[in-house]
Amino acid sequence: MTADPAVEAPIRTDKTQAAQGPAVGRRWIGGFRPSRRAINPVAALVVSAAVLYAALFGAGPLPALGPAFNPVTGAWTMAAAAQVGNETLHLAGLQQPVSVSLESDGTAHIVAQTDHDLFLATGYVHARFRLFQMDLMRRQGEGRLSQVIGKAALDSDRFELQLGLLRTAELEWSQLTSSDPSREALTAYAQGVNDRISEAESRHQLDAMFKLLGYEPAPWTPIDTLIVKGDMTQTLNFTDTPLVIAQLDKSLGADLTSEWFPVLPPNQQSPYDPGPYGAATSGPIEAMSQVSDSVAATAAALYQRLAALPPGLIATGGASNNWAVAGSKSASGGALMAGDPHLHLTLPSIWFQLTMDSPGYHASGVSIPGTPIVLIGHNQHISWSLTDAQNQQTFYYLEHEDAAHPGQYFWKGAWQKYKTVSYDIPVLGGPTEHLAVKLSVHGPVITQRGQTTSVWWAGNLPSQDLDALLRVGQASNWQEFRDALRDWHSPTHNFVYADDQGNIGLISAGYYPLVAAGQPWLPMTGTGEDDVTGTVPYDAIPQVYDPSDGIIWSANQRQVTSDYPYYIGTASNFFDPGYRANEIHRVLSQGTAAGGKLSAADMMALQTDTRDFLASEIVPVLVQTLAGKKLSPSESAARDLLANWDYRMETNSAAATIWSSFWQSYLGETFDPWWKSRAVSIDRQEVNDALGQDLEAWTLGDTANRAFTSPGSGQRTAFDVILKAFHATVGTLTKSLGSAPKTWTWGRVHTRELENLAQISGLSYGPRADRGDANTPLAAGGDPSTHGPSWRMVVDWGTGTFSGIYPGGQSENPASSWYTNRVDTWWSGLYAPMLSADQASAAKATVTWNLRS
Amino acid sequence: MSRRLLFATILLIVLVLTAIAFLHGAWWAPFVAGIAVGAVSDRARVAIPVGAAIGLLAWGAPLVYEQVQYGLGPAASSLAAIMGFGHQGTIPLVLTLLVGTLLGLTGAWVGSVARSWLPVLQRATSR
Repeated sequence: MTADPAVEAPIRTDKTQAAQGPAVGRRWIGGFRPSRRAINPVAALVVSAAVLYAALFGAGPLPALGPAFNPVTGAWTMAAAAQVGNETLHLAGLQQPVSVSLESDGTAHIVAQTDHDLFLATGYVHARFRLFQMDLMRRQGEGRLSQVIGKAALDSDRFELQLGLLRTAELEWSQLTSSDPSREALTAYAQGVNDRISEAESRHQLDAMFKLLGYEPAPWTPIDTLIVKGDMTQTLNFTDTPLVIAQLDKSLGADLTSEWFPVLPPNQQSPYDPGPYGAATSGPIEAMSQVSDSVAATAAALYQRLAALPPGLIATGGASNNWAVAGSKSASGGALMAGDPHLHLTLPSIWFQLTMDSPGYHASGVSIPGTPIVLIGHNQHISWSLTDAQNQQTFYYLEHEDAAHPGQYFWKGAWQKYKTVSYDIPVLGGPTEHLAVKLSVHGPVITQRGQTTSVWWAGNLPSQDLDALLRVGQASNWQEFRDALRDWHSPTHNFVYADDQGNIGLISAGYYPLVAAGQPWLPMTGTGEDDVTGTVPYDAIPQVYDPSDGIIWSANQRQVTSDYPYYIGTASNFFDPGYRANEIHRVLSQGTAAGGKLSAADMMALQTDTRDFLASEIVPVLVQTLAGKKLSPSESAARDLLANWDYRMETNSAAATIWSSFWQSYLGETFDPWWKSRAVSIDRQEVNDALGQDLEAWTLGDTANRAFTSPGSGQRTAFDVILKAFHATVGTLTKSLGSAPKTWTWGRVHTRELENLAQISGLSYGPRADRGDANTPLAAGGDPSTHGPSWRMVVDWGTGTFSGIYPGGQSENPASSWYTNRVDTWWSGLYAPMLSADQASAAKATVTWNLRS
Repeated sequence: MSRRLLFATILLIVLVLTAIAFLHGAWWAPFVAGIAVGAVSDRARVAIPVGAAIGLLAWGAPLVYEQVQYGLGPAASSLAAIMGFGHQGTIPLVLTLLVGTLLGLTGAWVGSVARSWLPVLQRATSR
């Protein structure tokens, strides 16, 4: 036997050749015929190199297969990481032992003996379950997504670094004194996160996404927490509305734009603060004027740039509810409070539920991973929740420049030099990008083309919001609560309040910029005349405390009446059209009328209310318009369904489908001819909220409005358009759903989806048929609807019961039973009790972690 | 010491070293182990399957352990979803085992080739 496989080779080669037949006709390049002795090592090296390359660097869509799929240290460890059991853990930096109890649904209860340890343990717990989410959020705000995703994220990174969340966070951190409680909280929290990062790395327990993307998280810093806060501010109130209105103004003309996109809402709304108000300290706002070509072109370029950014970076209208009922109006005798913030519904959720207990801080509710506090919840004496207040906090300034003063802009009578900040953006698989950001007095220059434009955004004002939230969590009465929010800047929120003494309150805390002159709903001149000069005084911002009717509510509607003396934003694309607020107000008013009392069950029912207030106004007009008209059998059946409808957008309701389709058709029949004839570049769907308010108001009180007589249509009234839209609706639905209107159920055309945060569709939930629409308290706009009640909480101070639920689960690990374990409960409109730490530790199947230094 | 005993001894040492290295995150350990096996074995037709088996064992045994301990179903399904294969959990499972097998196999192949090209290896293991 030979020991050399190469010696054996000729024999095998001959056999192979024999099997294949004679090698007659086989050609080798240049007449060279490689020997087996040469082919074998070359093949071995080539194949090995290919295998090693794929293992090291990945292949096509596959990640680096070696480290990523290593069963001991790679992504497969998600199976082990999904298990949660009793443990004793050692964390660097702890001062005293800390107990963490985890309920069977994953809710965490942290009990610490010092405030420092409480925040440290909170950081650890957040990172234990949500580290990848936290890392994504900080990367988003810091403009560092390209480093791990590649050039696909470059636009987002450039924009974020221009906008300046990182600069603001650094400034906020530098302004915190060493004795500031929020500084201690931020530092301890970062320590806890870093304890978990170290532990996860040593135990190979980093989330699978880190392994699949091939990177390890950098240490957490207090600035990262401030960035996460900035992310939320941006997604809730950085708007492009002035750019939209400028383009509408240019194409539709100033008169139609003024009429269709007014400052004050044209429809009937339910402001929660009816006044009386004090006198304004600022001057009146001018009427809409025609914008110039250059302003419109600049606005269009900027608008297109912002529109191309990933969803979520620009606020696109809010949707949240909260309300409270005074003890005098509740069945239990204690105040009732309900809150359901409507956000992008993701897996994992934006929320993490926990109870935080220490000598100086007690709060139970939901927190945002990456931040050390409970954002919505309750303590021993008060409860609070928030909705977005929606006032204008973004202003665009057109800087005046000329060729004789390069690198300068004219402001307040003198030429000023732009400041410049430079950044390097590392890009996975490409060269590092260098970015220079120019800053004027108004803010960062974000011009794409045309006139140099900078943006003033309240989110760039250094603001110690964390300190405010810490004090909110420590407040025990309205005065302390209100005082805590005095320095809250952005995003402006409607903070609802209820306490254990039966009191209720609502305050829209935040920064309300006042401009010296100009039209803030359009890009303004940057020469100084139109600058932001200050804010509405705190005592004059919208607020109520213990109103006489015993109810308060907010649902992103304009909080004040037309008598309010300050400009706070236009009706279009800042404030909600008000249908949810109207419905909530209707239910609360009816429930408390004539000595009526409301209960926590009523609050829960209202949170999942599917009654469309707009439908309740318009459908009777539609049915009346159809009376006596010649209709086809399908149209008659559709009319009958509408006539007998309760205006509830339930999945089994065919009338809901007809209504929804009709309203879209009605909007299109009214406005699309205008859009076409005036060549409006803004997608009509984007401004439907504003146009819908107009159409509602005209249908109910101005049926001969000139808008109905659109170009090329001849003289028309609302009724003509209604009839045409109804015919079109039935025709469209017959084509898509069949000829039997009773089968056109809402669940066939309307779904909801909980999207995976990393946009991995296989890890999303749904789409699944669901009830509600954009106008119902149970918010479900869009199809599939991806926004909605991200957390539902109901508090009854009379019985001392607290309930809450969010769609998703506590863990970001898709292999964990806590990834989607709360979805079904949430979907069914049910709640889970919010237990105290003592109740949780006594409950069945509770897991305990003992944290030691 | 006979050649077979020498081979078996070296194989055992290689297996132990592979396991230790693998547990510390050295995913490439089966490749190195394969090289060692290929280099000491005088028959490629034996060395290469043994190398592949080492790779399969190194990458498969921990999966078996995790399946017994925790259940791999949700993890496999999730990985498939992340990779864009829906919830076909067998795909990442097969892919994982394939990677391990290929690492061991190619390592042994390279080792065998090295042995044929480096007489010193033949002399060291042929006695």
